[in-house]
Amino acid sequence: MVTVYSGRSEELVGPLLEDFTEATGIEVEARYGDTAEMANLILTEGENSPADVFFAQDAGALGAVAQEGLLAPLPEEILGAVEDRFKSPSGEWVGVSGRARVVAYNTETLAEEDMPDSIFGFTDPEWSGRIGWAPTNGSFQSFVTALRIIEGEDRAREWLEGIQANEPNVYDGNSAALEAVASGEIDVAFINHYYLFQRLAEDPDTAAANHFMTDGDPGALVNVAGAGILNTAENDEAARELVAFLLGEEAQTYFATETYEYPLIDGMEADPALPSLGEIGSPELDLSELSDLEGTLELLQEVGIL
Amino acid sequence: MTATVERPSVTMPQMSDPSDAPQLAFRTLALTKRFGDVTAVDGVDLDVRRGEFLAVLGPSGCGKTTLLRLVAGFERPDGGGIEVGGRVVAGPRRHLPPEERRIGMVFQESALFPHLDVAGNIGFGLARRDRQRRIAELVALVGLAGLQRRMPHELSGGQQQRVALARALAPHPALILLDEPFSSLDATLRSQLRGDVREILRSAGATTLFVTHDQGEALEISDRVAVMRAGRIEQVSTPDELYLRPVNRFVAGFVGEANLLPGEVRHGEVQTLVGRFRAGHGALADGVRAEVLLRPEQLHMLQVDRLSSAPRPESVLTVVRRVFHGSEVHHVLRSPTGFEFEVATPSSATIEVGTRVIAHARAREVPVYPLDAE
Amino acid sequence: MATLTTRRSASRVPAPPAWLTGAGALVALLGLLPIAYLLILAAGSDESAIALALRDRTLGVLARTLVLAATVTTASVLVALPLAWLTTRSDLPGRRWWGVLSVLPLVVPSYVGGYAVVAAFGPRGTLQSLLEPLGITRLPELYGFPGAALALTLFSFPYIVLSVRGALLRLDPAYEEVSRSLGRGPWRTFWTVTIPQLRPAIAAGALLVALYSLADFGAVSLLQFDSFTRAIYVQYRASFDPTLAAVLALMLVTCTGGVLLAESRLRGRARYDRAGAGAARPPATVSLGAWRWLALAFCSVVVGLSVVMPVGTIAFWLIRGVSAGEPLNLVWDATLNSVLASALAAVLAVLASIPVAVLAVRHRNWVGVLIERATYAGFALPGIVIGLAFVFVAARFLPAIYQTLPLLLLAYLVRFAPEAVGVTRASLLQVSPRIEEVARTLGRRPGAVLREVTLPIIRPGLIAGGALVFLTAMKELPTTILLAPTGFDTLAVRIWSATSEGFFARAAAPALLMVIVAAFSLTVVLRRERDR
Repeated sequence: MVTVYSGRSEELVGPLLEDFTEATGIEVEARYGDTAEMANLILTEGENSPADVFFAQDAGALGAVAQEGLLAPLPEEILGAVEDRFKSPSGEWVGVSGRARVVAYNTETLAEEDMPDSIFGFTDPEWSGRIGWAPTNGSFQSFVTALRIIEGEDRAREWLEGIQANEPNVYDGNSAALEAVASGEIDVAFINHYYLFQRLAEDPDTAAANHFMTDGDPGALVNVAGAGILNTAENDEAARELVAFLLGEEAQTYFATETYEYPLIDGMEADPALPSLGEIGSPELDLSELSDLEGTLELLQEVGIL
Repeated sequence: MTATVERPSVTMPQMSDPSDAPQLAFRTLALTKRFGDVTAVDGVDLDVRRGEFLAVLGPSGCGKTTLLRLVAGFERPDGGGIEVGGRVVAGPRRHLPPEERRIGMVFQESALFPHLDVAGNIGFGLARRDRQRRIAELVALVGLAGLQRRMPHELSGGQQQRVALARALAPHPALILLDEPFSSLDATLRSQLRGDVREILRSAGATTLFVTHDQGEALEISDRVAVMRAGRIEQVSTPDELYLRPVNRFVAGFVGEANLLPGEVRHGEVQTLVGRFRAGHGALADGVRAEVLLRPEQLHMLQVDRLSSAPRPESVLTVVRRVFHGSEVHHVLRSPTGFEFEVATPSSATIEVGTRVIAHARAREVPVYPLDAE
Repeated sequence: MATLTTRRSASRVPAPPAWLTGAGALVALLGLLPIAYLLILAAGSDESAIALALRDRTLGVLARTLVLAATVTTASVLVALPLAWLTTRSDLPGRRWWGVLSVLPLVVPSYVGGYAVVAAFGPRGTLQSLLEPLGITRLPELYGFPGAALALTLFSFPYIVLSVRGALLRLDPAYEEVSRSLGRGPWRTFWTVTIPQLRPAIAAGALLVALYSLADFGAVSLLQFDSFTRAIYVQYRASFDPTLAAVLALMLVTCTGGVLLAESRLRGRARYDRAGAGAARPPATVSLGAWRWLALAFCSVVVGLSVVMPVGTIAFWLIRGVSAGEPLNLVWDATLNSVLASALAAVLAVLASIPVAVLAVRHRNWVGVLIERATYAGFALPGIVIGLAFVFVAARFLPAIYQTLPLLLLAYLVRFAPEAVGVTRASLLQVSPRIEEVARTLGRRPGAVLREVTLPIIRPGLIAGGALVFLTAMKELPTTILLAPTGFDTLAVRIWSATSEGFFARAAAPALLMVIVAAFSLTVVLRRERDR
């Protein structure tokens, strides 16, 4: 048996964990919740956590738990499957699927060629009143952290102030922002790429599309959902098997086809509807550097966004 | 005067004196209760004999409800003790909770259990055994046969009080406490119900302590009445004793309508507007100022213009007002000095306002209260 | 007959039995546990936390949140009073159904309600598209204060409806009759006699609405209002530093203290027991006449916005999703878990409310008052704070019950006890102490009096309080996520986990199941309400 705290929703990964049980005979006890809540749960439980595996939506939460020394180093055969930029340098967590930042746009008012090449294009006053974002969302905050690292504090502040000057609508999360794009409430929103595909599955007439940034623009950041094993895990053997399973062919195929994410192991292709990781031209960045959330939070608060 | 209870000089532990225990159903000794600075009950001594109906009469705020609540066990006394059915229920080292005192209680508001029907209310204090029989007995006793299944809100005010009484009587309590049980009813219903209640209690052989501020009610149905003021018992007597020989001016004024005529003692008699009266047992010395209690019906009037000889001018009175009371009429008379008092006559013998009269009393021996020499 | 008594000085209050104080204190201590946890955390804070707490922006958010709570509370009273009256005292056609419908919005989770409000009134919502042909291209701004106030009012006003309904049904009609006989018309009688008597019930309901508005996260964040609770969540989500969040949460606790104080004032000092509780006749029904149409229109608008709109939104998700080939997602085991946990929480909360309310009403000394007020501490705290407080304590000291149903129920108790306490307290206030005293003289100990007399009399209130807890526990999310046994799925968790990823179709079936279960239980409860 293995106990998983999953910051990824049951709708997304429930079937996958069932597949794991089927493949290995190991029962999975899963607790689902918001990634940040699950991280806070583990931090509060401390040494007494009943969890074996933390399966998180983004690298920031994994970093926060690792920083408190609550994650055990992963074995090399697991870490080796993934590129360096998608895992912790000290080996405490590993990315299992990739998600790209995109700009979702309304296809009734805009076309692909209307979209700027860089996210800095959206600070232009022509976008005033047309933008949506979700500044309380973890993926957004990771993106701002990346922006700070790649472009420097001043440029990051400049971008945030520029967008803020265009009076963006503030959404609760990516789904709500995409919903607003589809309804035409706003024209563009900064979200993760895969929300669109779920929306299309429910409503093929959804009037929205993804615009991927290119050429190392911070707006093209590829973040990961990942997993780590708690150093208090009682079932560490089973836990390792689970993390290995998540990086196996079956699970990676599941991510590519069911959740429209990017598989992270060699030789696996993403959904044909997506540009490949290579095409995106994600900025050169080590995801473990994204753990400086405090600085991001301070910046967001200073600019008056939070 | 014979009215006040003898205050035994015993202390609490010896409270049960075997010689009078058998006939005493209830008594309090030096019972005291304070709320902050206010002494609500102040050294009260009361004896109630088995089967007796004793009213505690007093103006509102005199402490009579507190007295009742002390007896019932809802309040804890600060001093003194209470004995019910020969058992000390409250004393220096003892405080039985209400449920162990064998006391039945009826409140002003009927306080019936709204979730139980008549039978359920009456049977509440009964053990399962014999319960149905006793309920039937009581329903018949209070005259509500056939209404056992009614819910309280389906009963009239008078019926509710009957149920409340039956409920209190059902477990054969040693003492029944009535807290102004008639005051929320209308006048006709009230007088009918209090006659009925008295009869029910008498036939049940119950010992009753009845608290009221209505002197008419108290005098009408009680064996004895205790008048209470500011936490103290002023007098405990039979109703007629209380009416005719109140121990002090307060009791006189509170029970019935009282004329207190001032006068001065001369030769062992008090000289008043309406004649001379014996000044107690020679206790009062000449020159002392005193008041004489004369009930309106103890006085009568003579019209001055029908007198054979002219009266002394200072005793000539004028009828200034008349108050009709049905069978009799009260005439308010005013003396030349402005003092007013009332004289009752049968309605058939009324005298016009403005008529000049003299008044005198039929009785010679009436209560006399010396005025403090200030 | 009836009297309204205000006598009985405090000095005449009898001392409560020790077991009662003990039970009440236990409930209160449980309620204070989250605050103790916050204090422990805050003790470790540095200047940066204090600076964060005191910066202008934080204080501004706090002030705006308080204004929001006041607005929502006022609006809720204005909506709830007529509804409660119409569904209990008038000849409104179909009033029983209106009765159920006017309480049903309580079960709409705020994250679903928030979506519904946006879908209907948002810049590209249904209303806008209906008005477009009329040349109206822009609706008044929904996002921010107006939307948050609207959503919170729509989904919390039933707190007041429930408590006021109970009070109206128990009200002795004698008072109103006396007023009419003294020459006051029905309208003036309502304002000068009925309303003052309803004050404790209105205050109790309004308190819950105010605290709910302070603690809500889902609706305010979907409607883009920057509330204080949202600020607390941001701290948890973004910084993983519970210290800062604790400082903010303690500020919220302080505000809760203020709200509680305001409610005590509003409640007034008079006692409203009906002297002869047994004597009350059922109140007369008022004939509405032509006003009936206005009344029906009013009820339709309120129910339309607070029930039909969210249910319609859910139905739309369901139809759209299923027609695109999504599975129906009928989650029976989650339904069963939801019903089980909520029902147990309801029973527990009602049981816990009894000693608390008895102490506060019958033995009104400072201990009783303190105990009652302490139980309210949990209601205004964001669920995540209560959840983490229990995690903190139980993971360390009570591993045996950590992540078990009993612990989850204790957390529900802390979160929802005030709902039951308020109703139980209001019911108890209307029972004359004389009735209990009579029972004592008839040979019952205090415990037996409570069991055989007091509780049966206030049963309708206990049931209403239980229903309230049941409905709100069913939609409770943060404490469930943090404390439920691992693998214990509930409807609320299913709905949230689906909507948060944009799986609206998959959220629809659980959401509908939740509404159906709630409607069913409410029908049962409101039938019982009269059955006395």
